[in-house]
Amino acid sequence: MTAAQIRFATLWRREVNRFMKIKKQTLGAPLLETFLYISVFGAALGSRIKELHGIEYVVFVIPGLIMMSFAINSFANNSSSILQQKFQGAIQDQLSSPASPLELLLAFSFGGFMRGLIVAGLTFIAASLLVDLPVDHILVLVPSLFLVGFFFSQLGVLTGVRAEQFDDVAFVQTFVLTPLIFLGGVFYSATLLPQPFETLTHFNPIYYMINLVRYGFVGFSEVSIPLSLLALTAATAGLFAVNLRLFSRGYKLRA
Amino acid sequence: MPEDALRIEDLVKRYPTGVEALRGVSLDIAPGELFALLGPNGAGKSTLIHCTTGLAQPTAGSIRVFGHDAIDDYGKARQAVGLAPQELNLDWFLTVEETLDYHAGYFGMPKRERRERTKELLETFSLTEKRDERTRTLSGGMKRRLILARAVMHRPRLLILDEPTAGVDVELRLELWHYVQRINQEGTTILLTTHYLEEAEQLCDRIAFINDGQIVGEGTSSELAGRYGVANLEDAYLALVGRNELSRSKIEVVS
Repeated sequence: MTAAQIRFATLWRREVNRFMKIKKQTLGAPLLETFLYISVFGAALGSRIKELHGIEYVVFVIPGLIMMSFAINSFANNSSSILQQKFQGAIQDQLSSPASPLELLLAFSFGGFMRGLIVAGLTFIAASLLVDLPVDHILVLVPSLFLVGFFFSQLGVLTGVRAEQFDDVAFVQTFVLTPLIFLGGVFYSATLLPQPFETLTHFNPIYYMINLVRYGFVGFSEVSIPLSLLALTAATAGLFAVNLRLFSRGYKLRA
Repeated sequence: MPEDALRIEDLVKRYPTGVEALRGVSLDIAPGELFALLGPNGAGKSTLIHCTTGLAQPTAGSIRVFGHDAIDDYGKARQAVGLAPQELNLDWFLTVEETLDYHAGYFGMPKRERRERTKELLETFSLTEKRDERTRTLSGGMKRRLILARAVMHRPRLLILDEPTAGVDVELRLELWHYVQRINQEGTTILLTTHYLEEAEQLCDRIAFINDGQIVGEGTSSELAGRYGVANLEDAYLALVGRNELSRSKIEVVS
């Protein structure tokens, strides 16, 4: 391995090691939360709703839950890891190393991405054991999930870098992300909503992400798949470019 | 002629608040020197160190570490520097051993070398028994040892010690100075800031006074005392900060 490869592997290992050390909080809690959603919405409500667009209700809900766990965990990991290290001053050890802005950004991003991937993967395995979950379009599902994970990793990095206190991170997660995800159609179809809520849902970017992942699993979508994939790719690339610029400038990282 | 270990020219650092922490600092430190930078709190010592190690971005001027520009060629410049900061900026999630291992990884050191170097430094700094403990459980003195061990972990050619003995007991202070003198004799260049003037006087080849963001005097301790027309380094320092009335020579002994 070259010195640069060792450096990048170490930066990444540190991020993964951090959440693995507090597994109960970083992996256990989100898994339990997802399991509770499946129980409440799938078993309890599902017995009344039965089907949506010809799909068993619990199967309709699970793709959105998998996408949600990938997104929230990618975001939460990176935002709190960066803010915590800024608080402790420990981030100075990485910042004063020869690591480039790109290496630092990718390592912080992949930490959250890995956590999201693990939680989403375990959710998928658990859901597959409970219900018959199809995978209809794997070539849409895999890139969609990876783009969702990477997008929220970037959002987590951006929030962590900008944040000056834990309240700043909690604000984005509680007052921005959670409402957008819940109102993006994880638990229902937007076509069932009365106006103007049906139209308003189309302005929620997470609606398109949920539809991409749902299409990958069950083959049903309310939006254009190519257009949604294109928009998600563009948004992820845009956010990555913004973060790279902030890291290169040392924004709120270097005095 | 060998490159200076550290060459700083007309360094200016202006913070976004408008505060000018460094106002045209120039400084040369030869390879193998043990150099002290003294000055009152807020004089600009830490800012100068942060600019050298990439933790702050200079507004103007240049910094070269063994000939490598700290901005344009930051990778090579930072590879040559080890920093023991004033703050105990350890990562609470990491163990003592991980702290050293990760630091060396950030600097591209291969695994086997990291393992050997970690073992050597744990012994040198009497940390072997604490190797598996998380850093937050260490006493202040142990944290200080670990910070110095981390700074030398990647075998830097220039070691920067920012008030390394602040708040440590006499025994540890002497231990640290013995170690610093030893590695200096082995060829490591050392830049030290301290408030213990007698230590700077005894340990260092040359001393610079910094005040209000400017170097106001430079030389051996006797040269500095001569420049201010006083008997010793402490009185020269008091003259610098305008507190001559505190000189021990003016204190009347009451019998």
